[in-house]
Amino acid sequence: MKTGDMGVKTTTLEKALEWGRSNSLWPLTMGLACCAIEMMATQAADVDVARFGSEIFRNSPRQSDLMIVAGTTTKRMAPRLKRIYEEMPYPKYVIAMGVCVIQGGPYVDGYSVVLGVDKVVPVDVYVPGCPPSPQALTYGLITLQKKIRNETDR
Amino acid sequence: MYKIISEETDKSGMKVLNIDKSDLIELMEDYKDRKYFLSSITGVDMKDHIDVIYHLHNFDKNDYICVKVSTTDEKVPSITKLWKAAIVDEREQYDLMGITFEGHDNLRRILLPDDWVGHPLRKDYDLNKVQYVSVDRDGNEHVSFDDKEGW
Ligand code: SF4
Repeated sequence: MKTGDMGVKTTTLEKALEWGRSNSLWPLTMGLACCAIEMMATQAADVDVARFGSEIFRNSPRQSDLMIVAGTTTKRMAPRLKRIYEEMPYPKYVIAMGVCVIQGGPYVDGYSVVLGVDKVVPVDVYVPGCPPSPQALTYGLITLQKKIRNETDR
Repeated sequence: MYKIISEETDKSGMKVLNIDKSDLIELMEDYKDRKYFLSSITGVDMKDHIDVIYHLHNFDKNDYICVKVSTTDEKVPSITKLWKAAIVDEREQYDLMGITFEGHDNLRRILLPDDWVGHPLRKDYDLNKVQYVSVDRDGNEHVSFDDKEGW
């Protein structure tokens, strides 16, 4: 039965914007190595990341606001990665996925790998693992959403 | 006529031929006539010399053979005249191992930027000197040892 009574919720414009932003994060397909496979699995039906509003993996940096750096970043790729990051519109966020991206991982003694993508672009959330499971990446995404809404304590 | 220094069979039953590098072209021509194709070229740094290893494959007999050449002056004759596939493989070996293939028309780096210093898969490559790659507006790559340049 409809009574016509409506509840009223007051909020600030900022909060409303943060809420909207955090629930429509469109990731950029930045799969550089084996972690990209898990990123695809995260998007697929099993761990369906669309539940959190991130179902559309965009191929253009101009249409996306989250960059999931999934996979080994080589020194030759780093300038390109930075350029793609700079082409993304504000507000933009970065998730570093996998130990390769966090500090070099298995290739820490190599000659060609950037030891930590945070030397190239600012990183918001680190998801460790080699590779991180789709669940872990989903948790990373939820953590990023909380960070956008100022709900995290870290 | 080429001379085979020694011939052995490895664990998987593949024939391994050790030859002198002056005989390489002749032996490859012979195997090309017998319908063998080039499968891969690899290099091994043995500190006092470098081994260059060629794998050849015959599709009719499904037979792999392996030809090993060792060189002390980092130079081997190029086999690009026989198989075009060798162009890319030899460039890769030049890039990462520093082997010079004499007779290759376009021997430059293929994976690393052109002004990278050293050949990284060599035993004497110094890993402590970190090199950084940066790209300018026109898309040209620059390599430097200075970590402030670049990203
Ligand atoms: S962290 Fe592991 S799975 Fe991910 S890119 Fe590196 S090596 Fe591959």
